[in-house]
Amino acid sequence: MATGLVVAFKGSGVINFSHGAVAMYAAFTYNYLRLDGTIRLPWVDILPTHQVNIPVKISLASGGPVDKWVAALVALLMSVLIGAGMHYLVFKPLRNAAPLGKVIGAVGIMLYLQGVALVNFGAENPQPEPVLFANTLFNNFLGFGKPLPAESLALTAVAILVGAALWFNYKFTRFGLATRAAAGNEKGAVLLGYSPERLALSNWIIAALTAGIAGVLVGSVTGALSVVKFTTLIVPALGAALIGSLSSVPIAIAGGIGIGMLQTVTATWMTGQSWFPEWLQSGATDAIPLIIIVLVLFLRGKSLPVRGNIEEKRLPLSPYPKRIGWYVGIFVPLGILLAFGLPGDFIFSGLTGKWSFAFSTSLIGAMLMLSYVLLAGYVGQISMVQLSIAGVAAFFMARMTANGTPTPEDPFAVSGPGFPWPIAAILGITVAIAVGVILGIPALRIRGVQLAVVTIAAAVALQTLYFDNAKLTSLMAGSNAAVPSPSFFGIDIGSTGPTGLTDSPKFVAFCVIVLALMCTMVANLRRGSTGRRFLAVRANERAAASAGVDVPRTKLLAFGLASALAGMAGVMTAFQQQQISSANWVYFAGLVTLAFAYLGGITSVSGAIVGGVLTGSGVAAVFGAHQSEGLHAYTPVLGGVGMILTAILHPSGQSMLYQPIFQYFGKWLLRARAAEWIGVGRRLGPFVVIGLIWGAIGINPWRTDDWSRPWMMLLGVFLALFIRNLVNLIRSGGHAELGEPAAAAQEVPA
Amino acid sequence: MSNALLQTHDLTVSYGGLHANSNVNIKVEKGKLTGLIGPNGAGKTTFIDAITGFTNVSSGRAEFKGQDLAGVTPAQRAKNGLVRTFQSLELFEDLTVWDNLIVMAEETKWWSFLADIVSPNRTLGVEEQAQWALDLLGLNEFKDRLTLDLSHGQRKLVSVARGLAAKPELLLLDEPAAGLDTVESQQLGSHLREILTRDISIFLIDHDMGLVLSVCDYIYVLDFGKIIAEGTPEEVRNNPEVIKAYLGESAGEMQASEGDAAARALKGEG
Repeated sequence: MATGLVVAFKGSGVINFSHGAVAMYAAFTYNYLRLDGTIRLPWVDILPTHQVNIPVKISLASGGPVDKWVAALVALLMSVLIGAGMHYLVFKPLRNAAPLGKVIGAVGIMLYLQGVALVNFGAENPQPEPVLFANTLFNNFLGFGKPLPAESLALTAVAILVGAALWFNYKFTRFGLATRAAAGNEKGAVLLGYSPERLALSNWIIAALTAGIAGVLVGSVTGALSVVKFTTLIVPALGAALIGSLSSVPIAIAGGIGIGMLQTVTATWMTGQSWFPEWLQSGATDAIPLIIIVLVLFLRGKSLPVRGNIEEKRLPLSPYPKRIGWYVGIFVPLGILLAFGLPGDFIFSGLTGKWSFAFSTSLIGAMLMLSYVLLAGYVGQISMVQLSIAGVAAFFMARMTANGTPTPEDPFAVSGPGFPWPIAAILGITVAIAVGVILGIPALRIRGVQLAVVTIAAAVALQTLYFDNAKLTSLMAGSNAAVPSPSFFGIDIGSTGPTGLTDSPKFVAFCVIVLALMCTMVANLRRGSTGRRFLAVRANERAAASAGVDVPRTKLLAFGLASALAGMAGVMTAFQQQQISSANWVYFAGLVTLAFAYLGGITSVSGAIVGGVLTGSGVAAVFGAHQSEGLHAYTPVLGGVGMILTAILHPSGQSMLYQPIFQYFGKWLLRARAAEWIGVGRRLGPFVVIGLIWGAIGINPWRTDDWSRPWMMLLGVFLALFIRNLVNLIRSGGHAELGEPAAAAQEVPA
Repeated sequence: MSNALLQTHDLTVSYGGLHANSNVNIKVEKGKLTGLIGPNGAGKTTFIDAITGFTNVSSGRAEFKGQDLAGVTPAQRAKNGLVRTFQSLELFEDLTVWDNLIVMAEETKWWSFLADIVSPNRTLGVEEQAQWALDLLGLNEFKDRLTLDLSHGQRKLVSVARGLAAKPELLLLDEPAAGLDTVESQQLGSHLREILTRDISIFLIDHDMGLVLSVCDYIYVLDFGKIIAEGTPEEVRNNPEVIKAYLGESAGEMQASEGDAAARALKGEG
């Protein structure tokens, strides 16, 4: 696995988070060929109709199982297909994007493949059969007294073989030389007559192929196939690749084998020793190798980037927030009004049930996104650990409110000081800040995508050492930590509503106010001297240092502040859920949260709010599910595609799209610029009408899903405008850089 | 020693076996415009990096205001009044011209971020200095533009203005004239003399002989990492070593225009 990551990084500078997902898809493909001889193609037909359907399945051998080697070959071809697709559809358009944009593209692919696998293969977790040496066992391997399946040996051999072949290829062939040249200087390589595009394509295919080999072979070792579990294999593989600085194939392989051995040693020997602290027992196996990697990277890093090693690919500009008071003044009363409804249930009776829950989920999601905006958007530190930091705050607060008295809802109450909720919440957030600052220390010397991987390692460590560690949390296995309901001067502002569901409008109002305060805080930080220093560090660490900005302190300040924001989000989540478990803060979800923050717009406060709306089980998701039950299955697929498209077309995030709409709408309300609107109407009107008609009579009759009818017309309009935009884009030579989002946004209001 | 603001003692910087600077001794006096010239690759930028803490000094030491600079971070040096510009600009591209200057100028305390949360647009007391720097270099009309939108020459001036905004005691200018045309270069020269009247001393590093010879009070000449000559512009102009370094054996390899300009400058026409 690690080998493929190295190849992908060498060829494109992308840390390929989707690598595990490619392996997963190959493993499933192999498995289902052996089961029923069908190939499931890596896409879905989202709008099943009676006439036109996109083929998603090919049957070989008419229902029966296919030969082992044919199946393996097809699975490998499948991974080659995916690799080529990744190159053409995602990474080629993204080749000049900022590192974060590429990361998001990779996360998008990962989500997409996961989603497609869930739809195509279902949620079953079959146990695949081994390809090599099934049922051969060395009973006493090398005299160590433990049995070892021949398959494991064969796997190691294959890994070394593949690695050696790749290493040879990169080291001694013209292809390898050209790849290295192109990675160093694309233009230079073009001048020498190499096509960087063809090189990138080959590299992606090789990378995907290694993933495919790993998927087909390893599938049987890791136990039952599972979409999620397989994808997360990426983390140890990333660790292995990082040891070789993402550029050395032999070290990556040695690192991979080394990590495996270290884990075994930790599990079987170290944890049994008396000097080993008891509270570390449970998570040590996963955490220790990662900690070692972080140390290695930290010691090798430099406190300031060296001359000539300047990050030229920038994040999107961070806009200067304007009219904060105005927005707060309008949206806070509006939000509270939405929560409670109008007096006497006049016209609108307020949010209830799933809507209320979705609304508060989105608000809390936006709080978490703010933490990413501050850290990644303003200071440029890619961190994927913010969700886990939120978890730290929530867990710590839960413990501080606990008093050890069992109740009917919480029969396994844990002991604790039993503080009232505000004190407990403040303590929780304080601990979150402390953890955040400590996790920020590696960022002083590790930058960019490497830092991203380190933060994943930190998230894994937090999960295994704290959330899942019964010694620290004192929780019974599988039970949750209870959180009491908060009240404010005698008013219950907890999330439990009158019907016993977690849908109290008072809690929504509470969230609205907290979020408004947090948004104001972040916006003010951006406007003040702190924001200037943050952006200075993001733009250029060397110049910032020369300007008297204390770069390490600024970074730690950012980590601290972002952790405070994340901690607040964690505390609010705890109040909303009323009980928390480690499942709320799975480290992999942190990656997806970052992706959603990017989708919303990583560099602005409004982006955080849009990200919150889009977040899982937030307003957008519930709205979609409300309109179409069937849509639910496609959410991850759509999310992945959305992320890739956003990363390519609108690197500043979706909020940049909506902002001009608000501005235009506001201006229109104030000044009624009719002429402008007529102009927009004249330009886009025909397309809208065509789209409407197409939607109404062109799509509606043939579909078999359960969407409400008007949506098909909207879909038609959307498609028509999209095609128009696409044609414009192609005509303008694909220069969709800066002007494009604004232009696109101007067209949407019609 | 009386007036020495910056002084180096046998400063040596080595990358592996290569001595980028070897035993460089210079002295920059207060209130003077001191120059350092040398052909491309002579080690000028390495020298400035060493003084400002961006590269490690192999041996020897540097003193600023009589205080040894070893172990002082680049940020602290800047706060103490030793401010530099970069040859490659390195502006903060996401900030406006004005904010670029303010970042440089403002003093921040540990509680600054708390003050920002309450009142982000408070007066910082450094606006006057920043405004003076803008006015001096004629950048006032670009005050609220992003540096991204400016031309190369304008950005060059912004980088000088950014250095000035910090109210430094000594401003190290790394090739401020590179990429400017002759007129812009002459304007810059006259601005530099004006800056001196504001209690800001200048250490000018450039390979443009014309500019350096016309504005500096005292000049050091660096070649292959070593100081080969020093003195007033007149002395440097007549120094046979300098003429050899600029026109002698390597003249044929130099670009014709650069060689001509250097020749004219040395003859006193520049």
